Amino acid sequence: MRRPLRARLARVLAGLGLALSVILPGAVAPAAAADPLILRVGTDQTFSGLNPWQAVYVLDYEVFTLNYDLLVGYDQNLGNAPGFAESWTTSPDGKTTTFKIRAGMKWSDGEPATAEDAAYTYQLAIDAAKQELTMGSGYIDGYLSSAGLKSVKATDATTLVVETDTPTALLLPAYVPILPKHIWSKHTLKQIADAEAEGAFLNNAPVVGTGPYTAVEYKPGEFMRFERNPNYWGKQGAADEVIIQHFASGDTMVQALKNGEIDYARGISADAFDALKADPSSGVTTVEGFANGYSYLTFNGYPKAIKGGGSSTSATRDPAFRDALAYAMNLPELVDKVLAGHGTPGTSLLPPFQSKWYVAPAADKLRSFNIDTAKAKLDAAGYKLDSSNKRLDKDNKVINLRMTWPSSEPELATVAQFVKEWWGQLGIGVEAAVTEDDTLLADLTAPENDGKANFDTYMWGWVGDVDPTSLLQPFTTDEIAGGSSDTFWSNARFDELFKQQGQQLDEAKRKADLQEMQELFYAEVPNIPLYFDSELHAYRTDRFGGWQNQPPDTGTPLFGFGPIGYTLLTDASIAPSPSPAASEPASSAGASAGAATPAPSAGGTPATATSDNTTLLVIGAIVVIAIVAGFVLMRRRGAVADEE
Amino acid sequence: MTAPTAGLELARPRVRRGRSAGFLRQVLARRTGLIGLLILVVFAVLAIVPDLLVGPLQTAVSATGGRLQAPTAAHLLGTDEVGRDMLNLTVHGTRIAMVIGLLATVITVFLGGLIGVISGYVGGWLDTILMRISDFFLVLPTFVLALILTSMIREILGTGAREIFGIRFGLIAIVIVIGITSWSSTARIIRSQTLSLKERAFVDRARVIGAGNLHIMARHILPNVVNLIVANAVLVFAGAVLTETTLSFIGLGDPFQPSWGQILNAAETAGAAGLGAWWYFLPAGTCIVLVVLAFTMVGTAIDDVLNPRQRSRR
Amino acid sequence: MGNRFIARRVVQALVTIVLIVLVNFLLFRAMPGSPERILARNPNVTPRAIEETRERWGLNKPLIPDQFIAYLGATARADFGFSFVARGHPVTEVIGSRLGPTLLLFGAGELIAIVVGLAIGAYAGWRRGGVVDYVGNGISLVLYSMPYFLLGMILLLVFSSTLHLLPSFGMSTPGLRYGSAFDQVKDIGLHFILPLATVSLGLIGQYSILMRSAVIDTLGEDYATTARAKGLTGGRILRHHLLPNALLPAVTLIAINLGYVVAGAITVEYVFNWPGLGRLTVEALNSRDYPVLQGIFLLLGVSVVLANLAADLVYSLLDPRVRL
Repeated sequence: MRRPLRARLARVLAGLGLALSVILPGAVAPAAAADPLILRVGTDQTFSGLNPWQAVYVLDYEVFTLNYDLLVGYDQNLGNAPGFAESWTTSPDGKTTTFKIRAGMKWSDGEPATAEDAAYTYQLAIDAAKQELTMGSGYIDGYLSSAGLKSVKATDATTLVVETDTPTALLLPAYVPILPKHIWSKHTLKQIADAEAEGAFLNNAPVVGTGPYTAVEYKPGEFMRFERNPNYWGKQGAADEVIIQHFASGDTMVQALKNGEIDYARGISADAFDALKADPSSGVTTVEGFANGYSYLTFNGYPKAIKGGGSSTSATRDPAFRDALAYAMNLPELVDKVLAGHGTPGTSLLPPFQSKWYVAPAADKLRSFNIDTAKAKLDAAGYKLDSSNKRLDKDNKVINLRMTWPSSEPELATVAQFVKEWWGQLGIGVEAAVTEDDTLLADLTAPENDGKANFDTYMWGWVGDVDPTSLLQPFTTDEIAGGSSDTFWSNARFDELFKQQGQQLDEAKRKADLQEMQELFYAEVPNIPLYFDSELHAYRTDRFGGWQNQPPDTGTPLFGFGPIGYTLLTDASIAPSPSPAASEPASSAGASAGAATPAPSAGGTPATATSDNTTLLVIGAIVVIAIVAGFVLMRRRGAVADEE
Repeated sequence: MTAPTAGLELARPRVRRGRSAGFLRQVLARRTGLIGLLILVVFAVLAIVPDLLVGPLQTAVSATGGRLQAPTAAHLLGTDEVGRDMLNLTVHGTRIAMVIGLLATVITVFLGGLIGVISGYVGGWLDTILMRISDFFLVLPTFVLALILTSMIREILGTGAREIFGIRFGLIAIVIVIGITSWSSTARIIRSQTLSLKERAFVDRARVIGAGNLHIMARHILPNVVNLIVANAVLVFAGAVLTETTLSFIGLGDPFQPSWGQILNAAETAGAAGLGAWWYFLPAGTCIVLVVLAFTMVGTAIDDVLNPRQRSRR
Repeated sequence: MGNRFIARRVVQALVTIVLIVLVNFLLFRAMPGSPERILARNPNVTPRAIEETRERWGLNKPLIPDQFIAYLGATARADFGFSFVARGHPVTEVIGSRLGPTLLLFGAGELIAIVVGLAIGAYAGWRRGGVVDYVGNGISLVLYSMPYFLLGMILLLVFSSTLHLLPSFGMSTPGLRYGSAFDQVKDIGLHFILPLATVSLGLIGQYSILMRSAVIDTLGEDYATTARAKGLTGGRILRHHLLPNALLPAVTLIAINLGYVVAGAITVEYVFNWPGLGRLTVEALNSRDYPVLQGIFLLLGVSVVLANLAADLVYSLLDPRVRL
């Protein structure tokens, strides 16, 4: 019967094929001469798409700041810098801002970029607001509605006049990319705003923008490729191309960084970070950036009982109770154990990263870990212990707090273990279990939005912008109905200050407002900020130099604000040390096979290693063939023995 | 017609009484059976009294070591990223993996056996319907189904820290899901055995003297099916352990009750492979392989016992 | 008899597919949480926008009959909606782009495993008690007992992290310009080796055990004894009589096995960052991208049903004793 013979033949052929596929390409090694310099960036974050209105994640923001300019950009210190606009002036009443748009700018497809484009972009937001439509995910147009945008007009090609309802500090930092009118106006507002509308405009690659790089290729879930925009008005970075690569697991990303397969990695684990830092020979530089946000433990402060939901005890809406429990939190230990020291204990709803606005609690107000103080405060607030040493609330019910966190934040499980232990010492039971992200979001919804607010305490995190407003908003009374409040805390003075600070153009006065807000927040403890967890990034210096943190003391080179991190990069191979790529062509055919693998990797070790590797692989292939052949022969002999 | 049942057919019934004792002895007589059972006994001991051997389960609070330490005298298998002793975690993981496996197997075998016997014996339209349903489950991409059902059931059971049989609700979801998705192959095997038994002489005789259906099913069919159920249960257990491991690895486990799969998940998240922290995932991985291997070996031995023809050497 | 048999199997397969569609619908609409809640974490989103999203995703109307009928209609049109994560990209596009790599990986893996695994199993079953039996069976058992991802992690650790022999992620070096077709094949080939090895080894473990069992079964059959009595030599018995008969149940079991291979697919692709359906499943699960999960479930279910149908038909063609 022919089947066994075919099987044998198939095996031998497979073995030969493997060997051939390794050897042959080596013989046709292409020249690695004028390959573009590619910057490879790795991240494990999901990407929402190329239409900036859909932006939700940090990665989305990073991408559109490469493609497009903001009206007002950011400099190295997060101060305002020229972007699409060169300069701007505000009228005495603060309600009108006139922007001077840079002359002679061109879109990446060659069309002129003028104030018309800026007017068009902002007008989209105004139109959407009028129709009560949210543009995409609602983050981007939200900046303009928070600023109270009333009208926008391009009086000539280089002048843009913007009017707001009130004087506002939120217009300049509005994180809105300026889009090309000649491309986008071909679509209706609905097509731009709604990703699933008929004929929705997804802004697929190639993207037309005025930013330093434009996206030319996008494979969902895998990678995005950008090419240098030849018409960029600013200083160009050394990279000819940028590739942002998606990784499903952080571990693989770190491996790729160590192997030289990527140049930059965002969001690596604490232990991988420490290992990289401790090993200078790995060729990898680590950078720990301050967090622009914080992780927190929130109490359900809904003021009334909710049928079929709500908190299991009225204690969680009592500031005195929350304050007492906050004394039973050893925040430095959490930073040590959970973050491996990469962070600082939580002290405010604004992170220290917001250096202009952050105010630490006064020394006499700052809470420290003290179980006895916590117990005393609980007793004083009316929460007594019963006969079996369990804490009772004001309705004489034993206090048993549910605690949960989203499955997307697994390190919070460790935090829960600690908190359970600490609060247990106070006589308060804690039931801790993880919840899927979506279910958790549903559980957090207030009755105002048809929810049941069915939780006692939970943990998650907030991430902010350059402007502090977005971190303050969830704690306003409006947001209980608005949907983003999860503490259901309501404080009239806080609301008043919130409105005031948004319109305050005098920075000193604004800081005073923000200080009072932070003090109010700290005293009433709607949530306990756990820690400001650092951003852990790492990068290689063998191909690119000129990495600068934004801002210099507290930031990271990339994934900051604006494209400045990319435009400052230099080509490391133009340094005096001889590039190993130059020695490649001199080696034998076997070694040049190695050059054919990651082609533009002019870096030393990976390339030379690959040429050795190819030789090893060839040897390996020969071994495989030998084994296969041996097996075949063995069976043959066995069959012969059968045949006697 | 020979149904593809991996060759599990009943041996000709020789001795009615004392069959179980003889059965066990025969399994032990085989080397594979002996080794397999020994390994399982070791793991059973670890599962039943972990506290006696290594103390209570270490939590982040009661962790005794530093971060990701390599094995030392104090910590024979090193520590994880919060400082917990890996030996402690792995031994406690045994209990969780085994209990989950046991519970899931009980559900699977009970459901599968019940449906198989009823379906095979009653026949007719009931049989057809039940077998259609069972085919459906055989055919579904059970793993994807398991993934989704686990999330769903977790929601139904609530975010509870409550426990059943000492297993937290989150993991009970996995137990239920494994039961739901695995019963069909058991049912198939039992059914075909029931079918062939139905035609046996002793069943006819029982019917002739007026025994009721239920009586026949319980007294005559069931005992002859037990061996088959045991053989199948062994393999189901192995499958259950593997499934739970994979589900936990994907992230559906419970960090408060780490099974081996959950330990591997934590290892992956902490980047153990890249950091060279082999002690983080090798102990749990080895245990998984050993347990599944042991079950398979025992299963093979039982298989051998039930198929006397295969004993004859060529 | 044959035609009726075929017709019946086809009808059964169709019924199963319909059931899968129904289960698919119930499963995903009953899932906890709603997609628009993700937006609620954004302070700038108006309640009107959340309401709009609910309308857009059809979550306002009652489950049965409105949503179900809409779902049936959409499925018939091959319209599976849009991905929640990759906004605006239809599910068919998202799944379609990931189909190729998975087919490549598992196609090649299954082929290698079938050839090598069945061969090892057959030989081990034939020569019970021999060296090949013990060694081969032993290794197969270990491979069978090891979860795929563990094997993958070990291979990754050894070949990529330690020896730096092979790339550690993905299917190809991203954005690389290929000088020639050979370059592309080689680049993909290098990335392909480790995941392929993992899948193949895992499947080889399974198939060799299956085949060994099947061969042992057929060894005991009467025709084998008869053949031996007639004086036919061992090799011929194996090739002409035993293998064809052993292959039949093996083939059926392989087809049934497809459902379980999926579990391996998911974890292997996860470990190696291989851009296939498996990794897509994990990502979709983590980001609660229900439309994509629904699409994957449907695709896999239908594929397995069709594979089983094909196996049954082949079986019936080869074995005339089969009647159902």
